[in-house]
Amino acid sequence: MIDTQAIFLSLQLAFCTLLIILPFGIWLAHHLVSAGKWKPWLEGLLALPLVLPPTVLGYYLLVGFSGKTLFGEPLVFSFLGILIASLIVNLPFAIQPIQRAFEAIPTALKEAAEVCGLSAWQIFYRINLPLAWRGVLSAAVLTFAHTLGEFGVILMIGGAIPGKTKTASIAIYDQVQSFDTQGAGMLSLLLLGISLCAIAISYGFFGSSSQLRAPRIR
Amino acid sequence: MLKVRIHSQSHGNRHHPSIPLEINLSCAAGELHALVGPSGSGKTTALRTIAGLHQPELGLIECAGEIWFEGLSANQALINFSPAQRSCGFLFQQYALFPHLSALHNVAIALENSGLPKSTRIAQSQAWLERMALGQFADRLPAQLSGGQQQRVALARALARNPKVLLLDEPFSAIDNPTRQNLYRILAELRQDLAIPIVLVTHDLREANLLADNITVIDHGIGLQTAAPNELFQKPRNSRVAELVGIPNVFNGVFNAGRLDWPPNNWFFDVLDKGKIPPASPVAWVIPQDGLMVHAQAAPTFLPARVETLSSIGQIAVVRFSVGNSKESLVWEASSAEIKRLGIHLGSAVFLEFDANKIHIMPLRTINDPRRLLPAG
Repeated sequence: MIDTQAIFLSLQLAFCTLLIILPFGIWLAHHLVSAGKWKPWLEGLLALPLVLPPTVLGYYLLVGFSGKTLFGEPLVFSFLGILIASLIVNLPFAIQPIQRAFEAIPTALKEAAEVCGLSAWQIFYRINLPLAWRGVLSAAVLTFAHTLGEFGVILMIGGAIPGKTKTASIAIYDQVQSFDTQGAGMLSLLLLGISLCAIAISYGFFGSSSQLRAPRIR
Repeated sequence: MLKVRIHSQSHGNRHHPSIPLEINLSCAAGELHALVGPSGSGKTTALRTIAGLHQPELGLIECAGEIWFEGLSANQALINFSPAQRSCGFLFQQYALFPHLSALHNVAIALENSGLPKSTRIAQSQAWLERMALGQFADRLPAQLSGGQQQRVALARALARNPKVLLLDEPFSAIDNPTRQNLYRILAELRQDLAIPIVLVTHDLREANLLADNITVIDHGIGLQTAAPNELFQKPRNSRVAELVGIPNVFNGVFNAGRLDWPPNNWFFDVLDKGKIPPASPVAWVIPQDGLMVHAQAAPTFLPARVETLSSIGQIAVVRFSVGNSKESLVWEASSAEIKRLGIHLGSAVFLEFDANKIHIMPLRTINDPRRLLPAG
């Protein structure tokens, strides 16, 4: 029996994460390009979730969130808690492709836009953002796929409460533990299919995998 | 009228490393002013400074009666307009067209903040493209246009805002000859139609000579001389200018109260100057072609020389003489008929007559004192 509740929760988490992280990631990546002497430290801090074991990150979040609430919701063992955790672990996946895309835009284009009389905001949404869209799409695909597969941090901060914090990857683990290999197999196949579709669609846009991270500037 | 007086010690940023600048120029409406110098001399930085893309430390930039920059001390600008506030048309060396916008929208984006309704902005942009003979390419992306077409789109974009000054950064460096001829024609037409100052950066002196009303020679960020092309070639201010503009027959000597000694040849000339050169100064001097006469017969006032090389190209012959006993050589251009009349051939002895009135003497290098840019008092 396929655990549709877990699948829907995973999709819900992935879409909510995307909705919040993309605008924030675009804003942060745009500022990181010209962050000056603090740039290596900021980049290092944002990349930490890539190298930290998920259980370590989950432990710190659990300790930090314990007993805290936001909008009246507790931060541990709740959807809000796993959403915040998902935002944190996805930061490097969202920011790095967008930042690389912004960095690849030649300085001369920004200067040409300035000389054309455009304001900083106009330069951002008329020039920089359209030129960095491949990076934004790449960030969206990576974040989406990574959220579907996230396990350790979610388990630490959310437990495995059905319909609330039990995402598909946790459900697979639970099913294997209870010898429901058929259910685990179907859920795994579904996650595999969704992830493959997301990446294939993005490759369709890019033309080839080698361009996943870098926008093409003519 | 564009007036620029800038002094800068700063070194730009990692994208645009720039050298210290000390430049003083003015360019009247309708005038084409060329900034000429070797690579890395600071020409482009000077142009970027006018556009507001690089900030000098001291100086004044004024255009059409409006002050765009005024700085009296380092990093304390009284007035510093942003590039958007300065009404500059800037043609970038690599055009810097927006790759995701069509030719039409590349031009129209310059009118984005003009306050005009969108339909008018599009119509005006289309008119600029038509003027550049690109009307039928309005919908094409920059990558679908040739280099010359891209450059004309960039020029249309630079002009669309009705700028108060047009700045051209090496516009001829990356285009083939027919495209270049076309751009010469467009520039000539623009100069007639638009009464704005045009500043052109080029490393090609021949081009500057062909197009410009005035030339400023820049070396290591310092404006060495500003003059009309003819004057620049005839009266370079110092030996470095003479070297940069490629004047032949530049020699060293010593000037002392109306007498120019040419020590290697034990020779001297009586030369008038304006009293600017202190007594017994080492100087450089040049003799233009029309101040030099070549004779087959000796005379007491003629300097003996020997033909070192002789090359004929069509009706023109270029002769290199080794002068007197020194190792210095002197280049002389003459018609093939003149060479025949004198009976000159390789190794033959000749006698050179110098018209001392045509000799131009100059200091070895202009003394550079940045303090002269500081406000009086």
